[in-house]
Amino acid sequence: MSGRRVGLERKKMLAGYVYIAPWAIGFALFMCYPLIYSLWLSFHEVVGVGNFELESVGWDNFNKAFVLDTQFIPLFISVIQDAVINTPLILVFSLFIAILLNHNIRGRAFFRAAFFLPVLIGSGLAMQQLLYAGVGKDTLVNGIGVPDEVFLYMGPTFSQIVFDMLSRLTIIFWKTGVQILLFLAGLQGVSVSLYESARCDGATEWEMFWKITLPLMTPIILLNLVYTCVDSFTDINNRMMIYIKDTAFTNIQMGYASGMGWIYFMFIFILLILVFVSTRRLVVYTGEK
Amino acid sequence: MKSIPIPKSEQGVTAVKQAAVGSKVKAIRNHSLVSRIGSKSRWISLIYRTFVYVILIDLAFVFLYPFIYMVATSLKHPVDLMDFTIKWIPTSLAWENFYYGMKGLQFMTHFNNSALIAVLSVIGQVLSCSFIAYGFARIKFPGREFLFFMCMFTMIIPPQTLIVPLFMQYKTMGWLDSVLPLIVPSFFGNGLRGALFIFIFRQLFRGLPWELEDAARVDGCGSFKVYWKIILPLTPPAIVVTTLLSLVWHWNDFFEPSIYLTSEEKFTLPMMLPRLYQSLDTLTGSSFEVFSLPVVMAATFMALLPMLFVYFFLQRYFIQGVERSGLVE
Repeated sequence: MSGRRVGLERKKMLAGYVYIAPWAIGFALFMCYPLIYSLWLSFHEVVGVGNFELESVGWDNFNKAFVLDTQFIPLFISVIQDAVINTPLILVFSLFIAILLNHNIRGRAFFRAAFFLPVLIGSGLAMQQLLYAGVGKDTLVNGIGVPDEVFLYMGPTFSQIVFDMLSRLTIIFWKTGVQILLFLAGLQGVSVSLYESARCDGATEWEMFWKITLPLMTPIILLNLVYTCVDSFTDINNRMMIYIKDTAFTNIQMGYASGMGWIYFMFIFILLILVFVSTRRLVVYTGEK
Repeated sequence: MKSIPIPKSEQGVTAVKQAAVGSKVKAIRNHSLVSRIGSKSRWISLIYRTFVYVILIDLAFVFLYPFIYMVATSLKHPVDLMDFTIKWIPTSLAWENFYYGMKGLQFMTHFNNSALIAVLSVIGQVLSCSFIAYGFARIKFPGREFLFFMCMFTMIIPPQTLIVPLFMQYKTMGWLDSVLPLIVPSFFGNGLRGALFIFIFRQLFRGLPWELEDAARVDGCGSFKVYWKIILPLTPPAIVVTTLLSLVWHWNDFFEPSIYLTSEEKFTLPMMLPRLYQSLDTLTGSSFEVFSLPVVMAATFMALLPMLFVYFFLQRYFIQGVERSGLVE
């Protein structure tokens, strides 16, 4: 009897591996092997283009990235800068919009559908065409209805700064679609009874936001933080991506491109570990976890 | 209440009664207080609601702006484009922009390419990710947590770290300049953000009651039948969310297609957009870029139209799916 049960358990366990198998195969073929090969490549350089003859160059590629290449470090810093500026803004905006959308208002369905629309354009070539046409620049100015006279009063330098900030904000707004949805999903999950009991105790809306909504949103803030970080680091308009792609396929320095790819990957890896470690105490989990 | 002496029970009872009556009176008083403040707080809430609407409408305009701009510009004649008094509504509708845009994109050929890649990838990801997620969510086996961690870990690997070895790998396999590198990984739970979809399915599968599965097993269903006939049909929210996101991301993706596809007749629809000026110049014989802006906007709109169309039909289920499915619990 017991022998048979063990057999069944084992059978079930094996079934588990069967379900994971497609992922394991895909992981080995399209993730793990290329990742290791890429590390190996970063200590080599392609000499023959036709059949990828390789030559070992030691740490040269990394040396080149950090010391010799005058473009890599500034690009790297500007990409990090972008992420550091954009990520908190995206998080704050998306939480703010999600809270507004969570009200019981008329046209809720319309607003929810509208705020996801820019995700359909994505950040691909269609978005590039729109940005070339100058759509990013005048959206917020038109949206808020800033009259042109305001810019005339500011003087050319200052108005240019304001203009740049507004166009940057616009693009940030367009990137909040997925985050808004995730926050909305989280807000829907907060039970109404919590707010009701807080209201009975005389809490104001403001207090309830800080004492109930925000703590309960922390797991989703973390999720969104990771998503936004990854999204901004792997965005195709990210100049780092373009630089690595050009190095690999236009200049045919595949070893060097792999090396830069690995530096980039390690940076993201360490950054996310820091994010997880530093937010561990701040994130509030409810229920049995 | 503590101060009430215990032996004199009657007193205690009356005290309790009094307290009860007192609280009732208080409640009534409170009630009247509320109704007196009522008109004031109603004003406050009215102002608050107006504020919410104003912000939402303003923001909605910002989010809709690219679409409004695209449509408005794509219908303009070059003359209207140069006229600063005309912002949104053209004097006459220039439908021929769409004709040139479609022609410049070679719409049908590249639409078919894009649709093939996107639809097959979506099918691959929905099937494989749900299958894999079932294993992660409902079956216990040693090493499960570690493997799931590895799976989530793949999400943070930037594509540019992998692109060179993958390029070489596909070259030796003879897959370059075909759609295989763009489709096959999707069937193995990879592809664009496959790990995210595995996560979504797993979240939903974990929330389903075990009794369902047990009952099916008692009736003699194998685990595959449980997955295919019971678990998967119960999670349309996850299917809709995965389908839409996967479709949109694959449709707009250009990093991988631009590396793996080399001959122009295999390009996806969005990949034709940067080439539009060239092909328009040969089409119209002029090279005045400003005047072709409406045509470019028409083409951009056409390249996005299939996604808009799908979103229009799916958006209700999509947003409900995200909100009511416990996706992020």
